[in-house]
Amino acid sequence: MKTLLKSCVLAISLLLGAISAQAQKSGGTLVFLVQPEPPSLAAYVSTSGPIGLVAPKVYEGLFDYDNDGKIVHVLAESHAVSADGKTVTFNLRKGVTWHDGKPFTSADVQFAIMNVLSKVHPRGPNTFSEVESIDTPDAHTAVLNLKKPAPYMLRALSAYESPMVPKHLLEGTDIKSAKLGNKPVGTGPFKFVEWKKGQYIRLDKNENYWRKGLPYLDKIVGRFIPDASTRTAAMENGEVLYGAYGAIPNIDAVRLKKRDDISVTTDGYSMINPMALIEFNTKKGAFVDAAVRKAISLAINREFLIKNIWFGYGKPATSALTSNFSATGLHAAMPNFPAKGDTAAANAVLDAAGFKRNSDGVRMTAVLDLIPYGEDWRRAGEYLKQAMGDIGIKLDLRYEDVPTWLRRIYHKYDFAMNVNYFYQLPDPVLGVHRHYGTNMIRKGTHFVNSSRYSNAALDKLLAAGMIEPDATKRSAIYKDVQKILAEDMPVVNLFELQFLTVYNTKLKGAYGSALGAYGSFAEAWIDD
Amino acid sequence: MSKSGKVFWHILRRLSQGVPIILAIVVLNFFLLNLAEGDAVDVLAGEAGSATPEYMAELRAKFGLDKPLPVQLLVYLKNVASLDLGYSFRHDMAVSELIIDRFWPTLLLMVTTIIIAIGFGIFLGLMAAVGLNTWKDSVISVFALITYATPLFWVGLMMIVVFSIHLGWFPTSGMETVAAFYEGWDRVVDIAHHLVLPTITLSLFYLALYTRMMRASMLEQYGQDYVVTARAKGLTERRITFVHVLRNALLPVVTMAGVQVGAMIGGSVIVESVFAWPGLGMLAFESLFARDLNLLLGIFLLSSVLVVVVNLTVDVIYSFLDPRIEVS
Repeated sequence: MKTLLKSCVLAISLLLGAISAQAQKSGGTLVFLVQPEPPSLAAYVSTSGPIGLVAPKVYEGLFDYDNDGKIVHVLAESHAVSADGKTVTFNLRKGVTWHDGKPFTSADVQFAIMNVLSKVHPRGPNTFSEVESIDTPDAHTAVLNLKKPAPYMLRALSAYESPMVPKHLLEGTDIKSAKLGNKPVGTGPFKFVEWKKGQYIRLDKNENYWRKGLPYLDKIVGRFIPDASTRTAAMENGEVLYGAYGAIPNIDAVRLKKRDDISVTTDGYSMINPMALIEFNTKKGAFVDAAVRKAISLAINREFLIKNIWFGYGKPATSALTSNFSATGLHAAMPNFPAKGDTAAANAVLDAAGFKRNSDGVRMTAVLDLIPYGEDWRRAGEYLKQAMGDIGIKLDLRYEDVPTWLRRIYHKYDFAMNVNYFYQLPDPVLGVHRHYGTNMIRKGTHFVNSSRYSNAALDKLLAAGMIEPDATKRSAIYKDVQKILAEDMPVVNLFELQFLTVYNTKLKGAYGSALGAYGSFAEAWIDD
Repeated sequence: MSKSGKVFWHILRRLSQGVPIILAIVVLNFFLLNLAEGDAVDVLAGEAGSATPEYMAELRAKFGLDKPLPVQLLVYLKNVASLDLGYSFRHDMAVSELIIDRFWPTLLLMVTTIIIAIGFGIFLGLMAAVGLNTWKDSVISVFALITYATPLFWVGLMMIVVFSIHLGWFPTSGMETVAAFYEGWDRVVDIAHHLVLPTITLSLFYLALYTRMMRASMLEQYGQDYVVTARAKGLTERRITFVHVLRNALLPVVTMAGVQVGAMIGGSVIVESVFAWPGLGMLAFESLFARDLNLLLGIFLLSSVLVVVVNLTVDVIYSFLDPRIEVS
């Protein structure tokens, strides 16, 4: 009797297992939103968002990262780091070919890192700054010789961040304007077919993909729809199945979420770590005094911003680093970041620093520049104007178009206070150092230290944090970094943005990578 | 000289007059566009996330943006004279290629819109004028007023909500069903299917304009002496309306259409944006924000040529509509 019962239970559980593990279906076309239309598909020259949506389906990296941030080997079958941290060996996968049929070898890796990524990629020169040379003892081994240990480098080897590109198509050409830029040839699950400007990019299944049986989809089409409401309508209608990075505005996403056939997720952005913030001009204007910047951080009700402007998608900042760095032990919550704001404390700081109110209750006036990337930022500006008014700082808002704004902030430094957002990326070395280091005051370079904040003690800590392989020591270093920044506040972090991915539930398997929409979609399939 | 000979010389003369006009437009546009802060390199580098100053300087040199403005202008004029519209560095494509690619969708949208707007506009205006102060007139006038006053983007979105989402009759956007990649006749039908909503949206606006204009124009003609003469001759009202009044009343409408063809290239930005129609308007709009000046200048050049040509065509049509107007 007991055995019968046991076998019944077993049979039922097997049955249940079979039901839950649905068989993936091959075939079908995934139409997804690419917003805006990318300038090119040269992922090795530009990290522009829309390029990231398309290119990682064609190119692959040495690694991918799963939802917990762990390394998944892609073009590297395995890797080893020497005890001193200065030699990194990649054993490359055999039998991988480029879409044009040529074999993928260690020479491609060497060329991609030394001649392409560390030369023309916007972030590559930082990522690979310590790489002195790459040896290729055989066609399937690449050995990176480093000047100093560079633990952060292993977090930046995804297809999006460091795509492996074909040497035979780039060598001897002007890399920045090579034909490959508009017609990518990679090793990935999908082959580039066609780009109809103003309409779509079409990718077809790579029949010779090294992962047998993959990809499931026959085609991927990235559509460009300029109007946000129309994008939402196309999603509602089932004409597109997937839209990430705010392609569907939050206001519509919360409505669509209620439908049975549409889901919303905030997963797939942990390698990006976007942070909304205010940059201050620390050399000129109203905010030269650190006390004022601190008072501003104190006065902002971060929860209000998130709840009312971003529809609840976001997390109040608690230090200069995103809380997602807790996984590597680097994040530490700091004072001066009250989630709900503390107007009284802010006023006290300003009074103590000797900023008196005039007869209208105004201590100082300034212009607040706003990042021209959409209406949400304008609303945030309107909130800030009011909140700062409460502590006697009278703000006027300025909203310009992208080139004008970039010029103002990063070329002319003609601003006092600027609302912006930065990607903190998977490691502070990659995404945060550029904001604070003295060596990152680079006139004319975008998204670096526009505050022109310079602090020798901090520079020393950043340099140490960059090469420290020991996790405990590294977390101590970054704790000190966050302490200094919570006092000096050249940049006031507002909140961790949570981008939304809105998708039709017909689409399965597109969410397994930490890179989310910047992933390969090799395992995505459509359940009709 | 025969009439056709006269027309020929007239066209030739007008075309030669058009050349300095177009030249002036190019030069003016060139300087106006260069007044804007920032350049294509700023935008590219800004989108890329980060770029070194050396890299940006290199790009500027490659794009020819490091040369003084007058030199850039001369280079551009020289290229245009040899019918070369230059290169869009942003798209890494020849400007002419980009423009031609986007010109057909614009032309398709424009021609269908003009035919529908003028056709229905004339018809409704005529109905309103014939039935002056009857219910027909009131209904048509109110309809025209409402469509004229409603913002285009809103009409477009409502069309999508009603006909795409709720009724499911038409696709929301785009020019083709991108998942299907139809060929041959299937593709023609598919494009026509996608064309319906944007055309109706854009036509509604112009339709209102032509209706009101046609109505006013008809009423004015009814008051003319020749109508009295025609009545005295004993012609039927029907003949007076369709043979005499209608023909004269068409003149202002044709003039208006000529002016608007040029405007429609740029004026359809909203409709192109709402329906993701891959036309020139969106291309121009995007290139402005990307500071892709070569491309923008190319589009402006094309529009100015188009305006000159269309106005010339309108002049010739005049002489057929009203033999009293002679080309001279």
